Amino acid sequence: MTPLPFAPLSSGPLLAGAVLATVASLWLLLPNGRDNASIRWLGSLLGLAALAAFIAAGRRLGGLGEEAVFLIVSLVAVISAAATIVSRSPVYAAIWFALSLAGVAGVLLVLGAQFLGVATIVVYAGAILVMFLFVLMLAQPAGLAPYDRVSNEPFLSALAGAVLLGVLSLSIGRLSAGPATCCQPPSRTAGSPSTASQSTTTPSAAAGEPAPAAGDTASVPAAGMTATAVDPLAENHVARLGGELFGRHLVAVEAAGVLLLVALIGAIAVVSRGEAALAGDTTPTRSAAGRSATR
Amino acid sequence: MNALTPFLPTIAALVKIGLLVGGLMTAAAYLVLVERWMAAWVQDRKGPNRVGIPLTKISLFGLGQPLADGLKIIMKEDFTPRHVDKVLYTAAPLVILAASLAIFAAIPFGSVLPPLGIPGLPDPVPFLVAPGLDVGVLWVFALSSIAVYGVLLGGWASNNKYGFLGGLRSSAQLVAYEIPLGLGLLGVVLAAGSLKLDVIMNAQAQSGIWYAFAQPLGFIVFLVASFAEAARLPFDLPEAEQELVGGYHTEYSGIKLLLFLVAEFLHMVTAAFLIVIMFLGGWHLWGVTGSSQEVTWLGAFLRFGVLSAKIFAVILFFMLVRWSWPRFRFDQLMNLAWKVMLPLGIANLVTVATIEEFRPQLIERFGAGPAGVIALVAPWAVFFLGWIAAGVLTPSGTDNTPIRTHTMLDAERSLREPDLVEV
Repeated sequence: MTPLPFAPLSSGPLLAGAVLATVASLWLLLPNGRDNASIRWLGSLLGLAALAAFIAAGRRLGGLGEEAVFLIVSLVAVISAAATIVSRSPVYAAIWFALSLAGVAGVLLVLGAQFLGVATIVVYAGAILVMFLFVLMLAQPAGLAPYDRVSNEPFLSALAGAVLLGVLSLSIGRLSAGPATCCQPPSRTAGSPSTASQSTTTPSAAAGEPAPAAGDTASVPAAGMTATAVDPLAENHVARLGGELFGRHLVAVEAAGVLLLVALIGAIAVVSRGEAALAGDTTPTRSAAGRSATR
Repeated sequence: MNALTPFLPTIAALVKIGLLVGGLMTAAAYLVLVERWMAAWVQDRKGPNRVGIPLTKISLFGLGQPLADGLKIIMKEDFTPRHVDKVLYTAAPLVILAASLAIFAAIPFGSVLPPLGIPGLPDPVPFLVAPGLDVGVLWVFALSSIAVYGVLLGGWASNNKYGFLGGLRSSAQLVAYEIPLGLGLLGVVLAAGSLKLDVIMNAQAQSGIWYAFAQPLGFIVFLVASFAEAARLPFDLPEAEQELVGGYHTEYSGIKLLLFLVAEFLHMVTAAFLIVIMFLGGWHLWGVTGSSQEVTWLGAFLRFGVLSAKIFAVILFFMLVRWSWPRFRFDQLMNLAWKVMLPLGIANLVTVATIEEFRPQLIERFGAGPAGVIALVAPWAVFFLGWIAAGVLTPSGTDNTPIRTHTMLDAERSLREPDLVEV
């Protein structure tokens, strides 16, 4: 079972080269006010070289098909994420961001995190980004604003992003490059003996009750629980996720729910106050407009 | 055989995809013909009945019409106006069609085949492209929210007022009606205990009670919301011809327009699939199909036939509604979504959650039979209460009396006193 087809090795020079190429490529590509096609070509080539170096620094695991699909969706995610920050038009940036989210959702689906993958599309691409697009399309019907043509501090931001990327790849590579016994994240193995018995009982109360009603899957949730950490593609993925969320992490889920509710009520309060203020403001202006129209 | 074994699941998936896409495309073409027949029947005239076998004089009730229509629209010049944003103008129809086809990865189009006994294939073979997807309903939801992009981008890239207004209207409508759609869907998910559509169908087949009977309020909310999501007539504001020429595809012609139209038809087909699978029992019909997972070949095809017949009936209903109802105004549309459908959907969800929570206690106290009756009667009581509440309170009612501004003086007074104007 290979949860991660590409586990980056800590092959230092290659990784360093990839990070440097990323810095240079992003710096060249970020909008700087001048439109120069050759510089953009150079930046794109450098970016591709950086991607190739990152892929070469990674370690190949897993079957051919899985690897190919993972490579495609992750390339889509990375390239469109880069295109998001370098594109001049805000509408295009939003579209690239949507494509990047689709790539991320694809990566999550390949790795077996079905719920997270689909939720990424529903929440980000389906709701938040559509709202962004709405505003962007209404806000700038013609031409680009100056703040879209020139980016602030392109070099520093590219450097900061690439350094973060390098450090993360190094640390993840070190985590997963060791012998197979240390591959399990320490938190999982440490917590599982005590919590496994708990989490087998609580979710089966929540998820086990509908399963006989459905009567289709033979797998009992209690039996499935022990396989949780091992096989992400096991049966009853969502039921087990729900059991985990509403069992061990109940307080966090409820806190998030309360936070969202507060935000909702706050938004309504702000809107209604704004409307009241607007109504108080517009009455004279409207009558003034009416007077000027009648005149 | 041994060399092929690892690829068998992939081959099976490809065969299913081929069957599904081929069937859907053919069905979409012929549903256009059915829609035109339906229109002709409602308006008391003869529909298309001339085109039959090409190059002969045989007219098979006009069954050659889809072929002729398709050829005509494909042969048209693929014209791109000069003022459009070329990349997004081309991408928009592709996005919407790809999204509406990809939805069907998670939608079952039958029950299961009897065991084939081929090593390497899961037995029994389900009528479903991605049987391992545990988040089927959410997948459908996610991809139908991706379809908004096609509409929005098509409208914006056209660089045309009508197109842009159509795109904006459409996206506002789709975003608003996703909420009642989700609420109607949650009730069913809660009752069946799974997000997989085939499990939801199996649950209805085993109990014999379709969710339309167990959750009437949820059914109504879901039905109305799926009409709005498919942008069918009472909710076809995105392309209201009298107001917006063609809405978001005003500037499109030829094959790109065809892609938009096919995607719209597929949205209706998807809505019909979901209504049948989630609320009308899927492949189940009392006394005909049985309810167990073991099927014979005859049973498998019978179930496929029952499901297809139900879907066809729902599509006919969609078409009949198109010619029987006037279009909503935009404020009425939004009021219906937020002030009627949202509270009713929440009421349904709370009812279902309460029943599912206390079902074991009910069975323990009254026995299985009376508990089932209570679980059936309570939702109907809530349904009628909700109906009466919506009728008495009329939260979506608007004052449609015309503003009396006959003279200039009246106009000035009405402007000075905004109470008269604000309707």
